[in-house]
Amino acid sequence: MADAAAAVPGDPPATTVLDSLGEDITRIVSPVSACMLIVVLLVSLLSSPNSPSPLTASFAAVTGGSVGGGADDIPTALITAVTFVVAVTAATFLLALLFYLRCTPCLRAYLGFSSLAVLLFLGGQVALLLISRLRFPLDAVSFALLLPNAAGALALAALSPASVPIALHQAALVVVAVLTAFWFTLLPEWTTWALLIAMAIYDLAAVLLPGGPLRVLLELAIERNEEIPALVYEARPVDPRHGSNWRLWREGSQSDGNLDSSSTVEVIGEAFGRSIEGNSGNISPSQVQEASTLAGVVNSPPRPRATSTIEQAGQASALGEHRVAVAEIREPLIQPPLERSGEQQEDEDGIGLSSSGAIKLGLGDFIFYSVLVGRAAMYDYMTVYACYLAIIAGLGVTLLLLAFFRRALPALPVSIGLGVLFYVLTRTLLEAFIMQCSTNLLMF
Amino acid sequence: METRVAGVPEDEESGLLPRPSAAGRRPSSAAPRFRPPPAVWATVDGPLGLPLEEAEGHARRFFLWGFACLPFLWAINCCYFWPILRSPAASTPAAFAPIRPYVVRSAIGFSIFSVVLITWATTFIVGGERLFGPTWNDLVMYNVADKLGISGFMG
Repeated sequence: MADAAAAVPGDPPATTVLDSLGEDITRIVSPVSACMLIVVLLVSLLSSPNSPSPLTASFAAVTGGSVGGGADDIPTALITAVTFVVAVTAATFLLALLFYLRCTPCLRAYLGFSSLAVLLFLGGQVALLLISRLRFPLDAVSFALLLPNAAGALALAALSPASVPIALHQAALVVVAVLTAFWFTLLPEWTTWALLIAMAIYDLAAVLLPGGPLRVLLELAIERNEEIPALVYEARPVDPRHGSNWRLWREGSQSDGNLDSSSTVEVIGEAFGRSIEGNSGNISPSQVQEASTLAGVVNSPPRPRATSTIEQAGQASALGEHRVAVAEIREPLIQPPLERSGEQQEDEDGIGLSSSGAIKLGLGDFIFYSVLVGRAAMYDYMTVYACYLAIIAGLGVTLLLLAFFRRALPALPVSIGLGVLFYVLTRTLLEAFIMQCSTNLLMF
Repeated sequence: METRVAGVPEDEESGLLPRPSAAGRRPSSAAPRFRPPPAVWATVDGPLGLPLEEAEGHARRFFLWGFACLPFLWAINCCYFWPILRSPAASTPAAFAPIRPYVVRSAIGFSIFSVVLITWATTFIVGGERLFGPTWNDLVMYNVADKLGISGFMG
């Protein structure tokens, strides 16, 4: 109570970490849920599992074609998944190399190009599909006027968080994630599951193993105290007074005497095809204390994720250069020098804390969660509910582990593992049970 | 009570800390125990938004680039500087004065664009073939997409 007496009248009572933790978690779970919801809606509206997509044909062409067009079997799926992971690893190492050579402009340019490509081409395709399916009589002139405009505005919003309202920036990131995830759900079924599991394993390895590309990149960024250009979703900080460097929240170049330069994750979209976004981050229970000591937590540069070039494999020749890459970079959490307790790794899949104490989640996590739920939606809504709950539970477990271990952890493995497990269980066990109950009018 | 514009340091002590955060600071023994007047921020994000000195350049850049057939930049400008737009013209704080013309003109530009677009689109949708004749089928988007072969999902 002595503290309260010393406070200025009208000053809000000192908040503990518990007061803001729920809000923090809500602010990261809501966009993830929104992304998944939109992908499920799009999949329900637009998917026609009978018609083979050009993507399937391109896969068949890449993997030898001996399986026939659009064949959906396990060897093809495994080969595709392994190819994807290899491509992502190579791209991440390339990214690390570019970052090491300080080619930040070309990284940013590539990020901008890929996010613009995603929004323009994938967004245009999705819009056309929606218009065709709903028979909405929009005319070509308006469409040609609106699409590049919207794509340009959203790309700008995704890339430079300082020039647009925070809400728009976050919405643009979610839109990019939704479009990429929808594109991924067009893969054949076994390929999708193999891809998800492979990416979860890759994420685990890349973040935790000493030679992993993400770890290398993050260590580079930590040691240089720069941010990696990447696409990372950053939740709005609950208390804007948390970071003393409120003005530095978006700027990466200024540095105070006591503070590391705030390395807000700049948005850099790199889509090589498959990006794995892991969120690494540690939720520090002492974030409040840190904030109050004006030691903002600096996020280490995120790890860019290169997405594999499925497009390249398939239809690059036909469509030119479509590089949809979403670079998901996670930023490691860097403690200020006063409290530096060791390096913290950031996975792309980690949940990090920004300099203002907000939670950061890489865009790749958004994408792969939504891919899992979208693929579940192609079966039935029952699997959607089960997988959604599993993923959110996995996210919570990851946050808990982060707070416990205080090091960067990948966010994909737990959620994807639980999601796949629940999908299998629902489809084999729960469905039979529910069907029996329903047909016998026992439970609806 | 005069309105304070946020982000403008009023004394040399504030440094990087914005004045409104003084409300959260524990007061020293000599500080008066009054709440400072509520700050007015230039951007809709409040303390997290653009600092004041960059706001003018930003508003002007978005306004000028909007003429390159990018009216959504005008919309972003209006949304971002909504507090400036909303404050009545007479009592705008002096710090907002250089920014306000750009924001107002962006608002005017965006409203003109949206009125024109909505009028045209509504005429097209409601009029249909009765008004346009057979060219309606040539202009409607799903037919154009089918003709160009882009309505299937590309890889």
